[in-house]
Amino acid sequence: MDVQRYISSGVIENHVTGLLSEPEAREVEGAIQEYPEVKAAADAIRQDMERYIELWAQKPPAGIKRQLMERLRKDDVQDTPAASPITTTTEKTYDDPFSEEKGEGVAPIRIWQYSAVAAIILLLASVTMNVVSYGNSDQFKDQYAEMQAEQEAINAEKQALKDELASVRKEADILKNPAFKWTRMPGMGKHTGIVATVGWNPQTKETFILAQELPEPPADKQYQLWAIVNGKPIDAGVFELGNNARVIQKVKAVENAQVFAVTLEKKGGSTSASLDQMYVAGKVAG
Amino acid sequence: MGAAVTYTESELVLGLKARNEKHFGYLYDHYSPALYGIALKVLNDESMAGDVLQEIFLKIWRGIERYDTDKGRLFTWMVNIARNTAIDTLRSKSHKMGQKVAELGSNTLASEQLAIHPSVDHLGLVKVLELLSREQRVIIDLAYYKGCTQDEIAKILDIPLGTVKTRMRNAIIQLRNILKQI
Repeated sequence: MDVQRYISSGVIENHVTGLLSEPEAREVEGAIQEYPEVKAAADAIRQDMERYIELWAQKPPAGIKRQLMERLRKDDVQDTPAASPITTTTEKTYDDPFSEEKGEGVAPIRIWQYSAVAAIILLLASVTMNVVSYGNSDQFKDQYAEMQAEQEAINAEKQALKDELASVRKEADILKNPAFKWTRMPGMGKHTGIVATVGWNPQTKETFILAQELPEPPADKQYQLWAIVNGKPIDAGVFELGNNARVIQKVKAVENAQVFAVTLEKKGGSTSASLDQMYVAGKVAG
Repeated sequence: MGAAVTYTESELVLGLKARNEKHFGYLYDHYSPALYGIALKVLNDESMAGDVLQEIFLKIWRGIERYDTDKGRLFTWMVNIARNTAIDTLRSKSHKMGQKVAELGSNTLASEQLAIHPSVDHLGLVKVLELLSREQRVIIDLAYYKGCTQDEIAKILDIPLGTVKTRMRNAIIQLRNILKQI
């Protein structure tokens, strides 16, 4: 045989990639055995294919290994003959008394004996099952509790997001409403640099404040908004800072205002403004 | 994954023949990606490929007695089991030839392949898919992964029988050249 020609004919590639029919494949296997060059060529091709295969390697899903190991253990148990005697015995018990028909004195006792054995086996099996399922139920209980806790956490998170979304929507509605007049109140005197903004709807009298840059007040004090008409401050309500500093807060309705101002007052607000404690103020446009 | 121990192939084989589960776990950790890759390529279905992967390893476990070190590498032996098992499953699922081709049609586009196999060795694979022509890739896939015979391939690709043989040889030669570059 012309080995070189055989190698370049492509038959080895076709063999390794599984293209050949069985008789053809057997022929190639024979040539591989016989000629070292053919064997070398086949090995090289096989290695190429194996590298190609490895390029496509992908980690299988995680659970498969555990399932597989369980099946292996069962597999090994089935191999050992220990499991079979029970079934053969019971089969015999069933057959013997009836097939032989005679010896009525003996058969009932044997039936009783076997029944007792069967009953004990059943009882043991049932006890085992109970223990196993009790163990399982514990596990399920734990899992259930875990999932319940998870569910609650998710619900709480969802509610928080919902609340946040609602408040953001509300703010957006106010901001988009063209009826609102926005008055920027810059810091007064020594409070230069701080700022708050009032949104006032002259039609509905609704008023909101956004305390962008007010310093946190002392614990016993609170900021109070005033609507000033002809030099007379009218209470427009107190407002919080802290977590509310970045949100638009609703304050009292304002009938009329030429100037808005914020003063620092005792907690709960004052009836008359402490004008020396004026932090910010701004003139209402138009 | 058992980073502390490594076994040589002959240690591994001895352990497996002694029914040592630890060795089997090691075998699984090291070879399951390649074998799962085969099952996926053949079946194109992750859940079927997972089932087939279990069959493959059961066959390896049960058949390790018959494995003969002299006849070739363990990996080669396992790859054959994997390929045969997966292709048997493909056939038993009454996949007709037309279906094989239809699957292959979508299967051979590089981008989709990468989408199906997100964790493959991208660089190497991308290079192979780039440099192997579509017809070369198709012929390898049809033969190796779909288990088609020469006749079937000739019919599917509508080419003469002799062309199948030479085209396969060229594909393997080209594959070898690419692999050298990776």
